[in-house]
Amino acid sequence: MTIPDYTLLNHTADLAVRIRGADLTDLFENSGRTLMHLMFGRELPCEGSALEISLQAQDLDDLMVRWLSEILYLLEGEHLVVTTVLIKAVTPLRLHASVRTVPFDPEMHEILSEIKAITYHQIEVAQKVGHWEARVIMDV
Amino acid sequence: MNIKLEKLDNFRWLVPRSGNMRVPGLIFTSKDLLKDIEQDQSLQQVANVATLPGIQQHSLAMPDIHWGYGFPIGGVAAFDMDEGIISPGGVGYDINCGCRLMTTRLKANEIRPYLKTLVSALFQNIPAGVGSRGIIHLSAKEEAKVAVRGAAWAVKQGFGLPVDLERTEDQGALEGADPSVLSDRAVKRGLDQLGTLGSGNHFLEVQVVDQIYDQQIARDFHLFEGQVSVFLHTGSRGFGHQICDDFLKEMGRKASVKGLALPDRQLACAPLNSDLGRRYTAAMACAANYAWANRQVLMHLAIETFLKVFSLSPKELGMELVYDVCHNIAKKERHRLEGKEVMLCVHRKGATRSLPPGHPQVPEIYRHAGQPVLIPGDMGTYSYVLAGAQGALDKSFGSTCHGAGRVLSRSQAIKRSKGRAIRRELEDKGIFVQSRGKRTLMEEIPEAYKDVSQIVEVVHQAGLAKKVARLRPMGVIKG
Repeated sequence: MTIPDYTLLNHTADLAVRIRGADLTDLFENSGRTLMHLMFGRELPCEGSALEISLQAQDLDDLMVRWLSEILYLLEGEHLVVTTVLIKAVTPLRLHASVRTVPFDPEMHEILSEIKAITYHQIEVAQKVGHWEARVIMDV
Repeated sequence: MNIKLEKLDNFRWLVPRSGNMRVPGLIFTSKDLLKDIEQDQSLQQVANVATLPGIQQHSLAMPDIHWGYGFPIGGVAAFDMDEGIISPGGVGYDINCGCRLMTTRLKANEIRPYLKTLVSALFQNIPAGVGSRGIIHLSAKEEAKVAVRGAAWAVKQGFGLPVDLERTEDQGALEGADPSVLSDRAVKRGLDQLGTLGSGNHFLEVQVVDQIYDQQIARDFHLFEGQVSVFLHTGSRGFGHQICDDFLKEMGRKASVKGLALPDRQLACAPLNSDLGRRYTAAMACAANYAWANRQVLMHLAIETFLKVFSLSPKELGMELVYDVCHNIAKKERHRLEGKEVMLCVHRKGATRSLPPGHPQVPEIYRHAGQPVLIPGDMGTYSYVLAGAQGALDKSFGSTCHGAGRVLSRSQAIKRSKGRAIRRELEDKGIFVQSRGKRTLMEEIPEAYKDVSQIVEVVHQAGLAKKVARLRPMGVIKG
C-alpha cells in the first residue's frame, strides 16, 4: 500500500487530518490508506484475502465516517488488517469497495497509534479547485 | 462565534447566551488556566451544548476543559427527563472511563529496591496496548451477565471481595442495562477485552502517598504518608467504543429526519423518553458495567502480582480498594433546581461525580468524609485524592474535574520528545515505566498536559471538592 497524500492538522486531544484526492474515488481510496498509515506508520505489503464492502449513508460526510469506521472495525472487531483498498464505485450516498486483508499479527503489525473511532466532529468532504479534500477528526 | 466571557468571581466565568443557546455556559477555571482554554475550540463547544433541548441551568465546564468532539472534555450538562435528550457525544467513546485507587500496608522505602521487578511483573501480567486481549474469554451469554451485573460479576468469579462493591460508584453496576439492544459488533468486541488496560492515556501506576492535605479525611480513606498505592485509569475498551459508534450513527440519521439543527454532528442525540433514547441509555449502562467489571479484574491481577513479587500473604499486603469512580457517563440523578428536587440526566464527559459528606449515595464508611474523588495525573506527574464537597451539589450538578487535559497535541509532543530518552528522564526522577506502544512515551510526556495541581487547586478553592492527598508515581505501565 503506497503512502497517501495527507496532512496532520493541529488538534490538542485528538488526531485531525486533511486528506486529498484527484477525484472522489481517489479521495476515498486515499482516506482508507491514510487511516492504515496513521496506525501502522509504514507501507503494508499488498496481499491477503479479498473482501467486498458496500455502504449507504445520508450524505458524503456521513459516507466518509462510515467508510473509515468500517476499516477500523475490521481491525478491532475482526482482527483483520486492510492492506489494499480499491473503490469500485462511489456516489454521495453509496460506496462499493474491494479490500484485501490479512489476519492481525501483533509481531508483524506493530500499531503506533490506537485510533478508537472516527468522529463526526467538523467532518467535511468537499470539492476544491482541481481536487477533492476531506477533513477527519479521529478519537485517539 | 467570537465568545466574550464575563468574570463572575475568581473561579467562574460566564458564557452569555447568544444565538440558539438555551442557557448560558459556565466555566470553572482560573485566570491562568483560561489562557489555554481560549486557545482551542472548547468554549464554542460549551456554547454548542447549551443549544440542546431540555438543558438545565448552565452548560458547565470544569477547569480541565479542552477541545473534544461534540461536548468539550471536562463538560457537564443536565437535562430534563421529559423534554431533554441523551447524547453519546456527551459521554464519549470510552463509556465509563474511570479510576480506581487501592492502598497497601507497604511503605515506599520497602519496595524501592524491587521496583523494577515489580513493574516488569505488572507489565507481564496485565494485558496492555492496542487491541490487547485478556485472560478471560467470554461467551456472548456470559458477556450479557457482565453487562448487567458489572463489578459484581467479577467478584462472583473470584476477582475481588463483596466489600469492593460498596466502594464503587453505583456499586459497580448501573440499573437498566439491557444487552438485547447491543449490535453483533459490540458483542463481538467485548468477548476478549475484559481485564485489559488499553492504550493512550490509560495506565496502572504504583504510587506513593506523597503529601496529605487533610489528615482526618486521609485517615478515613486509609491513606498515610509514604504508603504504597495502586492507581488504575481505564474504561470499557472496544465494547464501549462500538456502542457509542453504533448509536451516534443511528441518532445522526433520526435527528436529521426530525429537523433538529445541530451545531456539530457529533452532538447527535435522542429524546430521553424516546425508544432510541431508552435503547442508548440501556446500551450505555452495559458498557458502564463492563468497565466496572474490567477495573475489578485488573485490580485482582495487580494484587496477584504484588503477592507473588513480594511473597506476602494477602493480609500482609493488605491491598484494599479505596474507591472506583467514573468520568465519562450520563446518569439519572436527583438534584435541587430552583428549590425543588427533580430527576435529571447528568452527562459528565471528562468530569467526576463529587458528593458531599452526608449524601446517601456516599458509601457508609465515607459518609462523614464525602465521596472519594480520584484525579489521575499522567506518567511522571502527580495524581490526587479529593473528597466530594457541598459546592459541587450547589453549583455543578455534583461534579468536579477529571484530570489534567492536554496542552500539546500528540504530534507536538512527539516533536518535543525527539532526541530525548524519556524513559531515562523518568528513571532519573525515580519513576520506572514500561509501555507497549513505541510512541506512547513520547506522546504522553509530562509537559503535554496541563499542570494537574493548578486544576485541583481551582476545584478546591471553588468548593467543588476538597484536597485530601497527593500521590507520586513510582512505577508506570501503559499500553
